Amino acid sequence: ASIFSGTGADPVVSAKSNHCLDAAKACNLNDNCKKLRSSYISICNREISSTERCNRRKCHKALRQFFDRVPSEYTYRMLFCSCQDQACAERRRQTILPSCSYEDKEKPNCLDLRTLCRIDHLCRSRLADFHANCRASYRTLTSCPADNYQACLGSYAGMIGFDMTPNYVDSSPTGIVVSPWCNCRGSGNQEEECEKFLRDFTENPCLRNAIQAFGNGTDVNMSPKG
Amino acid sequence: RRRARARSGARPCGLRELEVSVSELGLGYTSDETVLFRYCAGACEAAVRIYDLGLRRLRQRRRVRKERVRAHPCCRPTAYEDEVSFLDVHSRYHTLQELSARECACV
Repeated sequence: ASIFSGTGADPVVSAKSNHCLDAAKACNLNDNCKKLRSSYISICNREISSTERCNRRKCHKALRQFFDRVPSEYTYRMLFCSCQDQACAERRRQTILPSCSYEDKEKPNCLDLRTLCRIDHLCRSRLADFHANCRASYRTLTSCPADNYQACLGSYAGMIGFDMTPNYVDSSPTGIVVSPWCNCRGSGNQEEECEKFLRDFTENPCLRNAIQAFGNGTDVNMSPKG
Repeated sequence: RRRARARSGARPCGLRELEVSVSELGLGYTSDETVLFRYCAGACEAAVRIYDLGLRRLRQRRRVRKERVRAHPCCRPTAYEDEVSFLDVHSRYHTLQELSARECACV
């Protein structure tokens, strides 16, 4: 459990509410958010042929535009909404249309995927931001560098639409695990490095706390204290 | 229609908006997502043209009677919203074109 358990909403109320649905509503009621959301959804959802699910390159571009041009008050809310049930968590997982933007026929090795990411200068710098801002720290209360949740969440969102696109691995409401679409099979003698790289996503207390705190609304004023 | 016309201070033709759930629209999609539905409503009295007056008279005199004629401007969208997307209860995304009005006019 996070250090913030105990600040959760009234269980009777939260059992009925779906924060991810509320986040979609907020976006739909804002013309800019609605337009850019609709744009990436229609592109990522457009089937090319029976063999090609979608145009992944165009889908990634539309996702990047959404996260670049829509204020984080809308985008983070959709991406990091808290859930009590599976329907909500499935909606959260579906935010980036994972069957187009995330999943692939085969899972590459994570270090190979990292090499691919590093060829693109933007992907390379976004990944470096993520490693710096979400680095698990044992010296801070939140496990995040300088207790800065916002920087970690921003770096996570900044990788969406690149080769290292991360997502929720399943629709579990509270047991949050995020990962890029890769595994460490076939790492040879680099197995340990690969596992270490993957754990920055899958078993990272800073990232986990940042996502949970956002969902609980307890992240306010958690940026560096003077 | 006569009563509505006589009512003074009726709002002129323009955009109105309503927050509705996708399911409420009855278009065959089941989704709890809320969309902003914009539509055109209001009075068009001020927009009656000489055309309408002439047509009314000719209709009264039964010079025009073979077809339905409208001798009165109508508050309708002149432009529509591009698209809106939503996730349904089966975790499928849908995109609807021209669901909402974007501009209205008495035409």
